[in-house]
Amino acid sequence: MTTLSTAVIAPARRRRRGRHRLEGLLIAPALLLFGGFFVLPLAVVLLTSLLTGNPMGGRAVGFTLRHYERLVGDDYYLEVLVTTLRLGLWTTVAALLIGYPLAHQLARLRTPLWRTLLLMAVLSPMLIGIVVRTYAWMTLLSNQGIVNNMLQALGLTDKPVGLMYNEFGTVVALVHIYVPFMVLTLTGVIGRIDPRLEEAARSLGASKLRGFLEVTLPLSLPGIVAGCLLVFALAISAYVTPILMGGFEIITLPILIYQQISGTSFNLGFAGALAMVLLVVSLLLVALYSRVMAGMAGGRAWR
Amino acid sequence: MTTRRRRTPWDVVAWRALNGCLVGFLLLPILVVLLFSINPAPFIQFPPHGVSLRWFAKFFGSRDFMAAFGLSAELACLTVVGSIVIGTLAALALVRGRLPGAGFLAALFLSPLMLPAILTGLALFQLYVLLDVGRPFWGLLVGHVVIAIPYVIRTTVAVLTNFDRSLEEAARNLGASELVTFREVTLPLIRPGVIAGGIFAFVISFDQFPLSLFLVNPGQETLPITMFNYLKYDFDPTIAAASTVSIALSIAVVLLLERTIGLQDYVKL
Repeated sequence: MTTLSTAVIAPARRRRRGRHRLEGLLIAPALLLFGGFFVLPLAVVLLTSLLTGNPMGGRAVGFTLRHYERLVGDDYYLEVLVTTLRLGLWTTVAALLIGYPLAHQLARLRTPLWRTLLLMAVLSPMLIGIVVRTYAWMTLLSNQGIVNNMLQALGLTDKPVGLMYNEFGTVVALVHIYVPFMVLTLTGVIGRIDPRLEEAARSLGASKLRGFLEVTLPLSLPGIVAGCLLVFALAISAYVTPILMGGFEIITLPILIYQQISGTSFNLGFAGALAMVLLVVSLLLVALYSRVMAGMAGGRAWR
Repeated sequence: MTTRRRRTPWDVVAWRALNGCLVGFLLLPILVVLLFSINPAPFIQFPPHGVSLRWFAKFFGSRDFMAAFGLSAELACLTVVGSIVIGTLAALALVRGRLPGAGFLAALFLSPLMLPAILTGLALFQLYVLLDVGRPFWGLLVGHVVIAIPYVIRTTVAVLTNFDRSLEEAARNLGASELVTFREVTLPLIRPGVIAGGIFAFVISFDQFPLSLFLVNPGQETLPITMFNYLKYDFDPTIAAASTVSIALSIAVVLLLERTIGLQDYVKL
């Protein structure tokens, strides 16, 4: 017995120790890549946001908080922040209202064919570029666009209605872009709820609506929270859609960030300070999201 | 009993109708773009009069668009290669290893998924300014690989988690070396996950906007950036034609994805 166990276990142990070294080798490229081109650059952003100038520029630079003071001191920047958050909030609410019915249907469909078709319909917009989808909404919502053409043809209005170059158009296009993320998050959660729970409520005399409101909806709450956090995080960092749909009228945080390094103004420090604001908000949202997802999946959030 | 089963209750019908409308909302813009790309008029016209391929001719005849298309395709292909190699190795180490801090590493490698790409773009831009390297192609490529790796890791980890380790043990017990086992057993089994990750990486890179915005050379832009710049000043259906080409590419990708691993599995991710 002993010889057998030493013969089997000892090489296995040796193999395991060898594996450890191998795994270090396997993860090294990713670690180097992320260290040098993800963590380091983000640290550089933090650093430049706290410096008076370019540290490699040759001139003496010191630490300063002036970029953050400028941010806090000017009402204009506060307004930009509020606009960004407001657009994110409306987008999230609308994406939830549109995404929930779709996710529920998707989770409860029995026929594989219908399931696949619906899933493809929901996913395919996700695989089309943001610029393309924003252009599509421009053709629909502009003053000479299809919707205005139809409204005028039907005699509902004699002047084009301002559907674009404002927050409404921006939110519509943003919702279209981020609904798939909401649906994917919700479908996973709703799919795990046993439909017999709702049936049990109904057999006890609850109406269909009440069964849904008091059983399925509360059970899907973690999915709702996770989906909303995800969509909100994505929406506040959008760049293309607010610029094109807002017609340069709407300034959001990402637009403001890019303005700092393009055109006439070149202010890396201030761009860094703005980026840190977006980073902190995003990280908070991500932390909340992973906490909610971890609670649902039993600690396997990183899948 | 039979009559009850045959007649669908009105609330189910209403629910399906609502979802039909929502699917319409999702698909309508795509259909509109497809329609405009074959409409001969140089402005938005509904309903369209006639069919024409002139906007496709203009797109494929435009040196700017073609250069951008070529750059995006090259970038996407290299991104696929880079992210597949680095991502698959990392996924293997994460799932198999009792690496110290594996949870932290996994979170790190997945974080570009949740972190706004505009931040990654700005961060790399600032790094390159600091190092005074200009805006090299490799700089753009590295950014794309960082953004694409989470997709590869996620799909590969998903396959590895459902992996029957005893198959590898069997190969090892039959005398295969570690390398042979990997090539003959592990790799074929995780291939669907790797391929799916590669397809995602292609799409993510090909459609990437905010990251590229910071890293491209003016005059040597990727397709989405060229389209964006065109849209700022011009509104003719050349963009619709360009979009149709992109959409066709994406649909091909979705079908490929469905063929390789089945989209169904993605809902559970």
